[in-house]
Amino acid sequence: MTSRSAAAPGTGEVVPGTRPTGRPATASGRRRPWRTHLLGYGLVAPLVLVMLGVIGYPLLNTVLLSLQNQGVVGSASTFVGLDNYTRAFGDGAFWASIGRSAIWLLGNLVVQTIIAFGTALLIGRNGRWARASRTWVLIPWVIPTVAVAVIWQWLSNSNYGIVPKLGAAVGVDGLGSPFGDSALAMPALILMNSWHWFPLGAVVIFGALRTIPGEIYEAARVDGADSWRIFWRITFPLLQPVLFALGLVGSLWSFNIVDSIYLVTKGGPADATTTAPVFIYGKAFNQFQASDAATVSVITIILLAAVAFFYIRVAKPKEDA
Amino acid sequence: MTFRLPWARLPRLATWAVLTAIVLGPLYWITISAFKDREEILRTTPTLVPTHPTLENFRQLFTATDYPSYLANSFVVALCTAFFTVLVSFAAAYGLYRLRVPGGDKLAGVILVAYMIPGTLLLVPLYQAFAAVELIDTRNALVIVNVAFTAPFCTWLLRGFFLAIPRDIDEAAAVDGAGPIRMMLRIVLPLLAPGISTVAVYAFVFSWTEFVFASQLVVSDQLKTLPIGLSAIMGQYTVNWGLLMAGTVCTVIPAIVPFLFAGRYFVGGLTAGAVK
Repeated sequence: MTSRSAAAPGTGEVVPGTRPTGRPATASGRRRPWRTHLLGYGLVAPLVLVMLGVIGYPLLNTVLLSLQNQGVVGSASTFVGLDNYTRAFGDGAFWASIGRSAIWLLGNLVVQTIIAFGTALLIGRNGRWARASRTWVLIPWVIPTVAVAVIWQWLSNSNYGIVPKLGAAVGVDGLGSPFGDSALAMPALILMNSWHWFPLGAVVIFGALRTIPGEIYEAARVDGADSWRIFWRITFPLLQPVLFALGLVGSLWSFNIVDSIYLVTKGGPADATTTAPVFIYGKAFNQFQASDAATVSVITIILLAAVAFFYIRVAKPKEDA
Repeated sequence: MTFRLPWARLPRLATWAVLTAIVLGPLYWITISAFKDREEILRTTPTLVPTHPTLENFRQLFTATDYPSYLANSFVVALCTAFFTVLVSFAAAYGLYRLRVPGGDKLAGVILVAYMIPGTLLLVPLYQAFAAVELIDTRNALVIVNVAFTAPFCTWLLRGFFLAIPRDIDEAAAVDGAGPIRMMLRIVLPLLAPGISTVAVYAFVFSWTEFVFASQLVVSDQLKTLPIGLSAIMGQYTVNWGLLMAGTVCTVIPAIVPFLFAGRYFVGGLTAGAVK
């Protein structure tokens, strides 16, 4: 221990002359031997490799596939140019699914933000039940989507479900299962999916609320501000960076959802809940039109990127505000 | 202590009652439904507590259906996913946020953006790629896909935990002659235990619930995981709600139990990651 402690940090093993010339040895005044860099890149490599294989390569292939005429996934195909794109742009069913995706995304965003915010304010209070709730409130998010699907189909079952029975008890008769009704299926799925996902937002907002120093609130209260003003003038602006990130990531996640929808309605009744990802899933694996599925995937990714870009431009909180 | 009129607390109590009922009510209802017999579960006036609690639904689930095999597959895939996600994301986070490789910030940004690409839209070429290397219809395929979709997020999640460990420790250890690998395994890894458990739970839960890839990349019945298996049971036994409830309860418990142990760290980890 004492014999080696005289060596400068990290440089003990470096053999003079092996350091590549031309690269500055220090970036920030701290000694960064190339072997440490090599180790660093080596440690990041597995993540990069698995992402290249599972995300990068398929992404490239989606583009290639969209220019061919493949049927069953993996079957032989030839190059057809932009034919698929012409067809996809004229496909009313595809654009309808994009429209339903927009409703799905906005519905989930609004419902979940409101419930998550209310829950965050509630679980942030003092008391034993409030502290315990910070754990159990996450349970709906933790349980598998398939369980969520079974639970809500059972609760809303028109013959035996507890929800129609409670409805009948307070005088609302004849509540059927909303998932079988083409007008109600989408709102019902949005509510079910929000039950599944709101805990995540609640806990993240709760964590962000904790970072606001209590003195700010006390100062505001001394100045005579009421709770409403305190919320809009202090809490909300300070939370904006977190809400911005949550809105972006949460929206991309909810756009991506197939399981919640597919497990309950399979996109029905009469396509009422076929969002773009469900549409693509069905095209590839039920109608066996792999190239068409790839084409609408490419269009969807571009649309999504454009919307995300627009969102970042409009909603990103200003650093100097 | 100031004296409070009981009715002044009423709104708050009511809000708590609503939240508790919304979150825990459905779980209570499926649990008691699983213990009801076939007559009681369909009764016109539902009972709040089973009058004749029975294990018949569970017996049938584990003897007459393929549920045990789905359960075993889900465990294998979820445990492997958790293990490899911890390995991959800890290594990557160490390189990016601790060793601070040149260009690390840009790399971290690219990883997060790539992760934002919706996985469902990549399902078709992914199926082809896996078919080319003969991974279709293996549990390995599911583990690989799950790790690819959990590790980027988990790497980012670990960032907050890494930032919380003072860098002085590194220098002290280096002075004592510890090499970078020993430093990583002996000093940083133990301090990162809360972060590691957060990542492990997240990866386990992600894998436990994953449906889209599992539904296509695995074909044989004996390799299917719970989300696929339970939905198949739902299709086969539509009228047997008791059986379905027993299956749901057994699917939910393995997701909740690890979470209850690591939940405290988990909430801390998510909020630390989001705020920093």
